[in-house]
Amino acid sequence: MTIEVRNIVKQYGAFKALDNVDLRVADGELLALLGPSGSGKTSLLRIIAGLDWPDSGEVSFDGENALARGAGERHVGFVFQHYALFRHMSVFENVAFGLRVQPRAVRKSEAQIRARVKELLDLVQLDWLANRYPSQLSGGQRQRIALARALAIEPRILLLDEPFGALDAKVRKELRQWLRTLHEEIHVTSIFVTHDQEEALEVANRVVVMDKGKIEQIGTPGDVYDNPATAFVHSFIGESIVLPVDVSDGQVKLGHRPLNIDAGSASGPSKLFVRRHDMQIGPLGEGALEGTVRRVRTFGPIQRADIALSGDDTLVEIDAPRDRPLTTGDAISLQPRRYRIFAGQE
Amino acid sequence: MTITIINSPVTVERAQSVARQDLHTEPWLVRGIIIGVAVMFLTVFVVLPLILVFSEALSKGVGFYLSALGDSEALSAIWLTLITAVISVSLNLVFGVAAAWAVAKFEFRGKTLLVTLIDLPFSVSPVISGLVFVLLFGAQGFFGPWLMAHGINILFAVPAIVLATTFVTFPFVARELIPLMQEQGSQEEEAAISLGASGWRTFVVVTLPNIKWGLLYGVLLCNARAMGEFGAVSVVSGHIRGETNTMPLLVEILYNEYQLVASFAIASLLALLALLTLIAKTILEGQIEEGQLPRDD
Repeated sequence: MTIEVRNIVKQYGAFKALDNVDLRVADGELLALLGPSGSGKTSLLRIIAGLDWPDSGEVSFDGENALARGAGERHVGFVFQHYALFRHMSVFENVAFGLRVQPRAVRKSEAQIRARVKELLDLVQLDWLANRYPSQLSGGQRQRIALARALAIEPRILLLDEPFGALDAKVRKELRQWLRTLHEEIHVTSIFVTHDQEEALEVANRVVVMDKGKIEQIGTPGDVYDNPATAFVHSFIGESIVLPVDVSDGQVKLGHRPLNIDAGSASGPSKLFVRRHDMQIGPLGEGALEGTVRRVRTFGPIQRADIALSGDDTLVEIDAPRDRPLTTGDAISLQPRRYRIFAGQE
Repeated sequence: MTITIINSPVTVERAQSVARQDLHTEPWLVRGIIIGVAVMFLTVFVVLPLILVFSEALSKGVGFYLSALGDSEALSAIWLTLITAVISVSLNLVFGVAAAWAVAKFEFRGKTLLVTLIDLPFSVSPVISGLVFVLLFGAQGFFGPWLMAHGINILFAVPAIVLATTFVTFPFVARELIPLMQEQGSQEEEAAISLGASGWRTFVVVTLPNIKWGLLYGVLLCNARAMGEFGAVSVVSGHIRGETNTMPLLVEILYNEYQLVASFAIASLLALLALLTLIAKTILEGQIEEGQLPRDD
């Protein structure tokens, strides 16, 4: 099932949660909505699910207007951040719920429902918990039961709101792997919301980066990491060194020092973004920037150094391979191998 | 010359435990006085009156007690009280759940005003509540002439008693449910709706089981107050013997006529109701706590 979202606007009082959002999701895709809190990602998910309504705009599933249908008629599986399992029902009844509330004409027989629930509990590998109650399960187990419950209605679309947000780091890692495998198995169009970039980059086929109710960039995980479209994406995804620069006549200057690097399309006050591992270290005089090593730590294959840039003593943190050992007090040059310059000082 | 004092471990321990005791408890005299005051207060204000009610009611023997309760006026008062309680509690059950549902699960303009209005019967003297109905339905009241022209009796009849009782006991159910439902949030309802359940089905299968103990608790308190309400009912009832006297009104009338034993016999029923309510309330509080198992997130 494809999803198309057009010109969605959603306002809560004076706060614009979604500001003219457009998005197309291809059939069978596993898409991540990534952004800081307040970026509008959950609002967008809830609008697609039918749990919220936009002020204006369109949502269609396979070309058919979804806004004309209520949440219950959209055949969307929704997994809540805090699971929202029915606390007074057993695990079995939780998963069976969607099947039991179907209209009489299409409702399955009791035997069929039992078989289907068993199948789903097997799928999430928790068939042995069927008679327990939600309060007796661990966070990871609850999340998987919530997923089984959402899948019971054979949803055309699966929506997950911060699915691993409330879990501890180790369980989160396991569930990530598991979700991706599951998606390969059932191949239903899925969107999940997260504020964790690692989660988005590791699990999704495509990542939508959002900020302040707008989409900043849509691309594959490799794309958004290597070719960030905006300053926001560059600083939100991966760690970057950010330096305020001034661009005039195609010349990039840090303070009064010309850097001899390509300015691209930027001009005026701008920001230079370099990934920490994209700074090449060399002897004095061979790079765009110069500085003194202040402190060095080593982690496995890399060494991380604090460099005080000459001029205003700005501290930058860089990652370098260990083949050229650095010591405190070394005077060195730095040359960005890959970098981006975005206009504006914001 | 130096003197070294070596403390044996035992004495050190004892010294510490004595010190600890001093820090965390009061001297026995203070404890005794405080407990004594509390017990005395409870005895004088709660236990003694309860005993007196029952002993006075039974002072002329069980036979007299039963015949006082079997009196036609007493029976009619008991019957009227039960009818009134059943109607007003059921009405408030519906109103209370609806109001709590609206307040807890939805955001809308004027929500604070609604919550304040729900509390109104608690902050107004019951006599005023009764008077309001007199002003509305009395002969000189707002609807009075129209009602008289159509031969409908509200004031000084059962309808006014039910109305006044319903008004006075309105907050109990809603007050009990609002915080409970707010705490539970609406995610379970959203989950049910997105799984295809209808609104009514969601309410019956998801919301109601989650609030059942709190609801029962609210109904219990509502019922206790409905049966015991005096002020508002006294204003609108008209005190027609055998017709519009509820149990609390009859207690007063009998007392004023120096029929002390009969008066206390009826009062003992109300006291019994209070005791039963108290017991049921304690049981329910345990259930509510159990139903609120912490959800580790």
